[in-house]
Amino acid sequence: MILNTFLLETSFSFFLHCRAKQTKKSFAKMAQMARSMRVPPNSTSLSEAKKRTLEFFRMCCRSIPEIMDIYNLYDVVTPSQLRSAVASEVRKNSNVTNPKVIDMLLFKGMEELKNCVDHSKQRHHLVGKYVVGNQGLVQDLGHKDQGISNFLKNFYSSNYF
Amino acid sequence: MGLGLLASRTLRSSSRIFHNNGPTTHFLRTITSTPDLNNADASASAVQQPDLPPRNPVGGARVHFPNPEDAIEVFVDGYPVKIPKGMTVLQACEVAGVDIPRFCYHSRLSIAGNCRMCLVEVEKSPKPVASCAMPALPGMKIKTDTPIAKKAREGVMEFLLMNHPLDCPICDQGGECDLQDQSMAFGSDRGRFTEMKRSVVDKNLGPLVKTVMTRCIQCTRCVRFASEVAGVEDLGMLGRGSGEEIGTYVEKLMTSELSGNVIDICPVGALTSKPFAFKARNWELKGTESIDVTDAVGSNIRIDSRGPEVMRVVPRLNEDINEEWISDKTRFFYDGLKRQRLNDPMLRGPDGRFKAVTWRDALAIVAEVMHQIKPEEIVGVAGKLSDAESMMALKDLLNKMGSNNIFCEGNGMHPNADLRSGYIMNTGISGLEKADAFLLVGTQPRVEAAMVNARIRKTVKATNAKVGYVGPAADFNYDHRHLGTDPKTLVEIAEGRHPFSSALKNAKNPVIIVGAGVFEREDKDAVFAAVETIGKNNNVVRPDWNGLNVLLLNGAQAAALDLGLVPESDKCIESAKFVYLMGADDVSLDKLPDDAFVVYQGHHGDRGVYRANVILPASAFTEKEGIYENTEGCAQITLPAVPTVGDARDDWKIIRALSEVAGVGLPYDSLGAIRSRIRTVAPNLLELDERQPATFSTSLRPEVSQKVSETPFTPAVENFYMTDAITRASKIMAQCSALLRK
Repeated sequence: MILNTFLLETSFSFFLHCRAKQTKKSFAKMAQMARSMRVPPNSTSLSEAKKRTLEFFRMCCRSIPEIMDIYNLYDVVTPSQLRSAVASEVRKNSNVTNPKVIDMLLFKGMEELKNCVDHSKQRHHLVGKYVVGNQGLVQDLGHKDQGISNFLKNFYSSNYF
Repeated sequence: MGLGLLASRTLRSSSRIFHNNGPTTHFLRTITSTPDLNNADASASAVQQPDLPPRNPVGGARVHFPNPEDAIEVFVDGYPVKIPKGMTVLQACEVAGVDIPRFCYHSRLSIAGNCRMCLVEVEKSPKPVASCAMPALPGMKIKTDTPIAKKAREGVMEFLLMNHPLDCPICDQGGECDLQDQSMAFGSDRGRFTEMKRSVVDKNLGPLVKTVMTRCIQCTRCVRFASEVAGVEDLGMLGRGSGEEIGTYVEKLMTSELSGNVIDICPVGALTSKPFAFKARNWELKGTESIDVTDAVGSNIRIDSRGPEVMRVVPRLNEDINEEWISDKTRFFYDGLKRQRLNDPMLRGPDGRFKAVTWRDALAIVAEVMHQIKPEEIVGVAGKLSDAESMMALKDLLNKMGSNNIFCEGNGMHPNADLRSGYIMNTGISGLEKADAFLLVGTQPRVEAAMVNARIRKTVKATNAKVGYVGPAADFNYDHRHLGTDPKTLVEIAEGRHPFSSALKNAKNPVIIVGAGVFEREDKDAVFAAVETIGKNNNVVRPDWNGLNVLLLNGAQAAALDLGLVPESDKCIESAKFVYLMGADDVSLDKLPDDAFVVYQGHHGDRGVYRANVILPASAFTEKEGIYENTEGCAQITLPAVPTVGDARDDWKIIRALSEVAGVGLPYDSLGAIRSRIRTVAPNLLELDERQPATFSTSLRPEVSQKVSETPFTPAVENFYMTDAITRASKIMAQCSALLRK
């Protein structure tokens, strides 16, 4: 009985310790984010905007484990798939050259990241936007389905297409 | 407006002076003088002609004038109309666009004139005349909307409804009942009958026709149909006056293969469809125009469906092929579409039992096995109900795999697909009406193609044509002479030794019909050579008349031969290691080696699945859009009436997907693409609803040295009601074959 309570206490303190580490990490992140918010959103040149983009991408990748933990996405997607999804979103705007526009896009990106990390969104938002790609569930598009034609894809799903 | 007014108007508008285009200019009128104003008589006659709107004949029909000089003119409601001589008053009114109500008159039956609903007023006649029986005389003035005609109709309707039971809520004909429609349109608003109505005992006419004889109005349409069109004198009118009953007098079932048509003919709910009883109302049903494929005639039908279920099949009008009738098999097979349907791809496991798998796995397995087999050991068999697109896809797939061993059921292993005139009905089904001598070789048209038989009977009755029949003893519904049972009789006729040869020689338009059962015989070439000799001797094949016909058995045979589904070797089944059965249930697989891999692609779990290793579910003809060619060479199209069952796909789509999985992709993705592929092989299959006659006659065939054998002809169809996968799965067909087979 005493042993049990002792075990309980140790596990509970371990748990608190872990949460403390996590909260320390998230506090650091929040500070980072707050810091980046305070930076004036005017990049002087394209190279500085590029630097800021990569910094933003790094921030996203670092917060992916926390996001997977908050929304319980372990069964649906892997961290590398989420990283590829974020990378493809960033790459979508790779043709932009105006630093002011890049700053605006980064601002919107930061807002989105903040919403995800603060649990302001819900699971289905993330699954719908980042997990289910344009062609269906990312994990379903296995390697075997890459080379087939539209006809065969439609044939497997239904008779009427 | 006279010409002068128009001329002055144009002069005004082309003037260069700026006109103030206000409202006052409309009242400006130039004064002109026309010849009419000066001529007083011309204006008087012009006033008498009322300005009537142009009228079209009822139903958009066209009027056929056999002798244009013999046209007479009558006046219908003041409107002059030109009609050929010999037409009745009712037909004249139809040409003028006036639909006269009737119950007993039917355009394809003889005139009875006993319902009296078609009474119209004719000037200078003391009483209204029955327009269906009165011939139209020149200068007759017919009036259909006067008070006398209206009173006559109301009176007749009142009499008819006096003894008619109040069955509308429980009667199947409600919603499509002539009595209901005509009483609303032409009857009076209230009845005056206060006595007891009479009732009549119901007659048992079989498992197909439900009779409630109390509702009968004694129009005798069914009696006339049975005796004239179907050829069985089963029905008759018993008794007189109000005690008249229609019945068979003795306890007899209607065994004719056209007995279902009395259901369409009866204007009230006395004769209705027994399988369709109480199932649906006609306004709930969606009609889809389609083609029947259970036999080679290609009768036009309308499939009435409610949601995913086919509720009934009704005929469509097609003057050239089936007029307004369909056979019993066509009308009642539809409940076979609900039984024994394949809905999932299946794989036979090592314990011999089938297991459902996904499409991916099934196609992957079939493709893998196909690649391991040598090309000449791959065999494809097209079934009886296959459409042209899927047969084209199957042939292309097998050719891409390197094999040419593909054939269609019923064509035999040595089909002669070179000349189209060698395997279609060259005279055309409607052309049979012009014939005056028939020679039927090895075919019983009553069970093989009931509509062709109806046409032959129509010709025999109209022109007293002579019919000679060579084959096993069968029963016909017209006078015929049974000449013999084996091909030796043919040789005798060819040499002129038989008494029937004189009848053929004296005929102006002789017709020879060979059944497709001859394709399966060994002496097929000799039989065809004998038939051709008969044709040559009796002037059967001429530039304006080709009387040599082949009556096919299945809906898929003609298209298969047009697309060239001819096997390379006739021993292909014995040496086959991979067999692809596309709906083929009647091909004999006895000689197949035990280690052959059989794929069955079809819609019913019929005989083909017992030997199969993989089952691929396909859609039936009511669920897909496909081209079917009938025995006279007319390509027609079926339309999907109901959705496919379960996970089934269209036939050609399965073959196209299989080809892609196997790596030999076929170059078409859509229906239009596969039809352009058909255009390169057999473009006649794309000219829909038009009979495409053959270009060359069979006189180009080489000489045959084989002798005819002595084996007598065998009947090609043993059981009329159960010939293919759908009819074998149908409960109604099972009842019919138990009760109605002679």
